[in-house]
Amino acid sequence: MAIGNVDAPAPAKVSITRLRPELDREPDARPLDFGLIRRLLTYTRPYATKRNWLLVAVVVRAIQLPCVAWVIGAVINGPIAHGAPVESVLAGALGLFALALFTQLNFHFRQRLALELGEAVVHDLQQEIFSHVQQMPMSFFNRTKIGRIISRVTSDCEAMRIGVQDVLFVTLVGVGQMIVSAAFMLYYDVVMFGVVFAMTPVMWGLNRYFRKRLSRAYRDIQESFSRVTSTLAESVNGIRVTKGFVREELNGQLFGDLVRDHARYNMRAARRAGIFLPLLEFNSQFFIAALLLVGGYRVLNSQMTTADLIQFFFLANIFFNPIQMLGNQYNQALTAMAGAERVFTLLDTPPDWQDTADAVRLPPLRGRVEFHGVSFEYDPAVRVLHNIQFTAEPGQTIALVGHTGSGKTSIINLIARFYLPTEGSVLIDGCDTHDIAADSLHHQMGIVLQHNFLFTGTVLENIRVGRPDASDADVVEAARQLGCLDLIEGLAEGFQTAVGERGGKLSLGQRQLVCFARAMLADPRILILDEATSSVDTLTELRIQQALHKLLVGRTSFVVAHRLSTIRDADLVLVLDQGRIIERGKHADLIAHDGVYAGLSRQFLEVLTNR
Amino acid sequence: MTAFVDTAAPDLASNGALIRRMLQLSWRYRWGCVRLLVLQGLLLGTALAALDLSGVGIDVILFRAGAAKRPAVYPFGFVPPTRWPALAEVSLIAGAILVLAIVRGWLNYVYAVDSGRLIHERIVVDLRSQVYDKMQRLSFRFYDSNSTGALINRVTGDVQSVRAFVDGVLIQLVILVLSLVCYLAYMMRIDVGVTLVCLATTPILWIVTVVFSRLVRPAYDRTRELIDHVVLTLAENIQAVHVVKGFGREREEIAKFSSALQAVEDEQQQIFWKVSIFTPVIGLLTQLNVVVLLAYGGWLVTQDRLALGTGLVVFAGLLTQFASQVANLTNITNSVQQSLSGARRVFEILDTPVEIKTPPDAAKLARARGKVCFDGVSFAYEDGPGVLHDITFSVEPGQCVALLGATGAGKSTLLSLISRFHDPTAGTVRIDGHDVRTLDLDELRRNIGWVFQESFLFSNTIAANIAYGNPTATCEEIERAAKIACAHEFIMQADGGYDAVLGEGGMNLSGGQRQRLAIARAILLDPAILLMDDPAASIDPHTEHEILSAMQQAMEGRTTFVVAHRLSTLRHADQVIVLDQGRIVQEGTHAELLEMPGHYREAAHAQGGQ
Repeated sequence: MAIGNVDAPAPAKVSITRLRPELDREPDARPLDFGLIRRLLTYTRPYATKRNWLLVAVVVRAIQLPCVAWVIGAVINGPIAHGAPVESVLAGALGLFALALFTQLNFHFRQRLALELGEAVVHDLQQEIFSHVQQMPMSFFNRTKIGRIISRVTSDCEAMRIGVQDVLFVTLVGVGQMIVSAAFMLYYDVVMFGVVFAMTPVMWGLNRYFRKRLSRAYRDIQESFSRVTSTLAESVNGIRVTKGFVREELNGQLFGDLVRDHARYNMRAARRAGIFLPLLEFNSQFFIAALLLVGGYRVLNSQMTTADLIQFFFLANIFFNPIQMLGNQYNQALTAMAGAERVFTLLDTPPDWQDTADAVRLPPLRGRVEFHGVSFEYDPAVRVLHNIQFTAEPGQTIALVGHTGSGKTSIINLIARFYLPTEGSVLIDGCDTHDIAADSLHHQMGIVLQHNFLFTGTVLENIRVGRPDASDADVVEAARQLGCLDLIEGLAEGFQTAVGERGGKLSLGQRQLVCFARAMLADPRILILDEATSSVDTLTELRIQQALHKLLVGRTSFVVAHRLSTIRDADLVLVLDQGRIIERGKHADLIAHDGVYAGLSRQFLEVLTNR
Repeated sequence: MTAFVDTAAPDLASNGALIRRMLQLSWRYRWGCVRLLVLQGLLLGTALAALDLSGVGIDVILFRAGAAKRPAVYPFGFVPPTRWPALAEVSLIAGAILVLAIVRGWLNYVYAVDSGRLIHERIVVDLRSQVYDKMQRLSFRFYDSNSTGALINRVTGDVQSVRAFVDGVLIQLVILVLSLVCYLAYMMRIDVGVTLVCLATTPILWIVTVVFSRLVRPAYDRTRELIDHVVLTLAENIQAVHVVKGFGREREEIAKFSSALQAVEDEQQQIFWKVSIFTPVIGLLTQLNVVVLLAYGGWLVTQDRLALGTGLVVFAGLLTQFASQVANLTNITNSVQQSLSGARRVFEILDTPVEIKTPPDAAKLARARGKVCFDGVSFAYEDGPGVLHDITFSVEPGQCVALLGATGAGKSTLLSLISRFHDPTAGTVRIDGHDVRTLDLDELRRNIGWVFQESFLFSNTIAANIAYGNPTATCEEIERAAKIACAHEFIMQADGGYDAVLGEGGMNLSGGQRQRLAIARAILLDPAILLMDDPAASIDPHTEHEILSAMQQAMEGRTTFVVAHRLSTLRHADQVIVLDQGRIVQEGTHAELLEMPGHYREAAHAQGGQ
């Protein structure tokens, strides 16, 4: 829209950020689904012994709990109420103690086995998800947000753990306990049981209604809280802008509004909980009053004995206790369903493509790379490479030059076999990348990308990613060959220096050298290198150039080049524009040719040289 | 890098001082707290009354049915008229229980709302606003030495820990003591002997709980760390998917993840065992109370020294309440620990003095002309080596100064001294002849426009981002700024134009586009002084020309400082300053410097491509 248009919306209220986290939210509950439950339960199969013993413990416990209540009632009604001699009171108490001991012993197994089973299942699931993700091709990672994958392994698996270890068994105990105590009550007095039973649906209904309202209120709280935290995060990250543009005061006010708004949601939830919980308690009080009234009436009219009335008090308690808990478990079950659905969907997502069954294992490579009429697209609508044709002889350095979006990265992605061409073929030592086993190629390939990613760990470990079986001496040797041994040994703890999260404790230049050393250690036949565009200081720049030169020697190298020195030394420069090779040749020849490259070169020379 | 502790108030070192400090904070909300305590007192009273009444009910029935010899004892010495039928008595009790239940329900609701109001609407809002306000005024050093996550946590989690002291520790503690005393008194009133015998296990219960939480807490902490490690391993694996796939390291990664998972499982097994012993033991101890009650209390009942309903049954109910209160004590001690560590971090922020602020008698500087002078300026970060040494130069209004030098030469620091992001350790920075330290800080900064190396844009509309420094700017002003910054065209192509939302879930911009918005943001203020800290640094060299003309147009009519490496920019500068290790090594116009031997000429020649 044009600014100042008549039907332009009124200027929005001033805000720090305008985030809409709800757009990105995944559903947090899903109706019970028998298929999902069955599939989840198959994960307990490797632990069948544990699971079966657990079921035994569960059944025993469901009987024990009403029994304890019954014994208490029986002791009161029997020896105590009838003024029996002290020995029989004592015997009753001892009997109760024995039962309690047995109950708690059984509870130990019921709890421990459930926890262990839950952990084992989650462990297997997490392992399976990770392994599955590993075999996904690059396209998967480009379209899937990292947060999504992480929550599959964390919160979704956690929901499934609760589903396995709690929901199933706690529900079984609860239901069993209700059935057994109901049987006891029925035995004692049918009418009174009718009173108890009539209240059950009321309690269940109230429970469901308020829980639903409560969980909606909690979800709103979460949403407003994520607005608070993301605004905070931006305030922290943008602090220089805030100070520079003198927005401290205004931002303080706006943030105050946001926090007050968040408090409003909290209050709403507090109000709902404030009705719900007392209502539950009111219910149990109401129940006591009803029992007194009905029971009293029946006892006074001799329709029931006092002893049975007292039993009822204890048993009814055992009967009602699980209801609230079952409501809770039901919610957990819905959450577990949502988690299970997402996890299984991920596990069921087949890789877009994978090695064919008869994939060729590449022998040690010479390093010849050919593109024959290669066309490629990530998104069927947008073709990013058109009929690319070139050959890199073993040992040559190929420089790729062009604007952002001209297709340099796509060519690299095809050589690395992160993707397969849509048309034409990419041949490595004469083998079509379609037919080769990925790992046999990747083990002979090295890759250094712009971001220079380092794993949390030491410098040594990070270099060793290039060749996991390399000895410490090999690692040191790789650094020496690059001529940067002194720089690494000069770090606080040399090769043992921790690089921090994402290498944050090293400078850009140091990170780049570590990545070079990683590639050097791998000693690949084919090297792919995307030069970093960010500027480093002159001294480090010099070292990087020297190291780069040594790294390229003797291998087929593809370089997305931003340095004039790299381009000048290349055996072949491919100039790309909108997915086509528009010029090719050596730097000097291209300059002499005075075509597009020469123009580009003149225009950007000063920019390039300074890198 | 030194940890950020130097300026924190030292008196927070001890727990005692910290607790005193939090008590002061609670005192500010004393009436809210008193209200909550009164409500809790009432709740406790009604709970006891209801429990007592149900006991009375049983006794009445027993007595009237002839099963008990003693008549029921009503509370407050109430004696129902003897001509009442039995059912009337029972109905009265049932009715009283119901009334009490309604009262309790209402009290509970009032308590929930009141405590919500105190906690969420007052304490948390106050603290969060205070911490946020203060954080915005702290130095960059503070930001550099803390991760974003830790800073967010100060306003969210840590603030919650502090308020947990009020409602989780202070109020809970009073309630706990109050209810333990009441329960105890009530039980004693029923029967001293039974009370003592039954509570004999309580100290054991307490000890077991304490020992357990000591035993298991380190294991929980370790598990949490191990789980963090699992998540980190996963996150890095995905972020580094190019490396993993590029080197064919999937198998090693799976092994790495698997061993991280295994470590969690091993640690968990320990916890499982401990938990599965602890819970049954606690359960057994609680049930032991009941056993003792049945044996001793039961005997008393048979001797007719104790009523069955108001005695035995009520006692059984009280014992459960008592045990849960004792368990509560452990929770409270745990929250004390938690709120102390959170509080320390919150107060650290609130107590940190603001290093840079407007002096009391600030000089007025409505609109600067733009003359900037550095007079013998040196700067060093606290405890750090010197960054700038004896910098002296002056710039006339409207001139353009280019700063050149290697990383770490002090270019960015020099710029930050102009807008008082730091104060020099020696010498003075003057604007229009005023020492910047004597000026109103906000007025000073409103005269200065910034374009940072990596410009941060907020997840907000394009218009709101451009108008960040002046939220009341009109659409025309915003558009004019965007046109000067060569941003209008691509903005109009965006879906939604100036109202397109950037960032998370919104549109993504290229590096060049982002910087042009940043330039528009700076010139919307029409500042007398414009500071541009190498805005081209993180831009793909092939697209760099996109922002060069924007930079040129933005400089028009302002005193401009630009950190630059490119000849194209350097050539247009009225003055070029070459910095090396914090010192000015060369100074002059492009033409003059080309004549002189030295760093500048070498750099220029290198860029010539020879």
